Amino acid sequence: MPAPATTYERIVYKNPSEYHYMKVRLEFQDGGVGLNAAQFKQLLISALKELFGEVDAALPLDVLTYEEKTLSAILRICSSGLVKLWSSLTLLGSYKGKNCAFRVIQVSPFLLALSGNSRELVLN
Amino acid sequence: MVRFKHRYLLCEVVSDDPRCRLTLEDRVLGTLVRDTIARVHGTFGAAACSIGFAVRYLNAYTGIVLLRCRKEFYRLVWSALPFITYLENKGHRYPCFLNTLHVGGTIRTCQKFLIQYNRRQLLILLQNCTDEGEREAIQKSVTKSCLLEEESAGEELSDSGGEETAEPME
Repeated sequence: MPAPATTYERIVYKNPSEYHYMKVRLEFQDGGVGLNAAQFKQLLISALKELFGEVDAALPLDVLTYEEKTLSAILRICSSGLVKLWSSLTLLGSYKGKNCAFRVIQVSPFLLALSGNSRELVLN
Repeated sequence: MVRFKHRYLLCEVVSDDPRCRLTLEDRVLGTLVRDTIARVHGTFGAAACSIGFAVRYLNAYTGIVLLRCRKEFYRLVWSALPFITYLENKGHRYPCFLNTLHVGGTIRTCQKFLIQYNRRQLLILLQNCTDEGEREAIQKSVTKSCLLEEESAGEELSDSGGEETAEPME
């Protein structure tokens, strides 16, 4: 008895996520500098504006979480602006005269991936 | 083939003030466009656009400007042109804006477009002009341009009849 003809349907999933999420930490050379959330966002936007101008300083950038003690944050940027944001964070050198650097810890198109990091896994 | 490709942006300076066009200078306009690109597109845009950037042609009477830029970054230059709102020369500030008429790959294509554009503008001027003496001058220029078109001389028109009636156009 011949097998019934099956119809196949092909679904291609091409990463339709519009946003990328970055976990970053700000390090100061001397330490002991505090920023609140608004100053942190102002610093990000001024970094974008210096390298890419006013047009890209208006990219839809969000600071989802911010911890003032460790100066670490989770940022959300639309996928077309990820390269611009990352390069402007790399080239940011100082805040109010004090040397600082951004350390990018994790980047992912899915927010859930930022919750667990296999580098920080503790095996016992 | 290995050569640097450029894009030529043909723009027109439009302003209410008639003195604005007479103060046009290529160096002043060049620095103004460069500063605007640096403001709008940052350090990256300023560096990328200023390599092949030049003001190739400037006509103070008709306000036509021809800018040259590299083909890879001509969109950055083009998008920065609407952000130019004033022309500053010798302490006087004139509000104006740049209207982009044509983008071409060579100067010759921009010149061909400019000749056709000027012919069409002459006909529009003929419709709008009020004074009888000006009307005769423009009609003379129009017939001269039609003769030139038949001869296919291919030289650029610089019409004195159009300069006097530049104000009713704006």
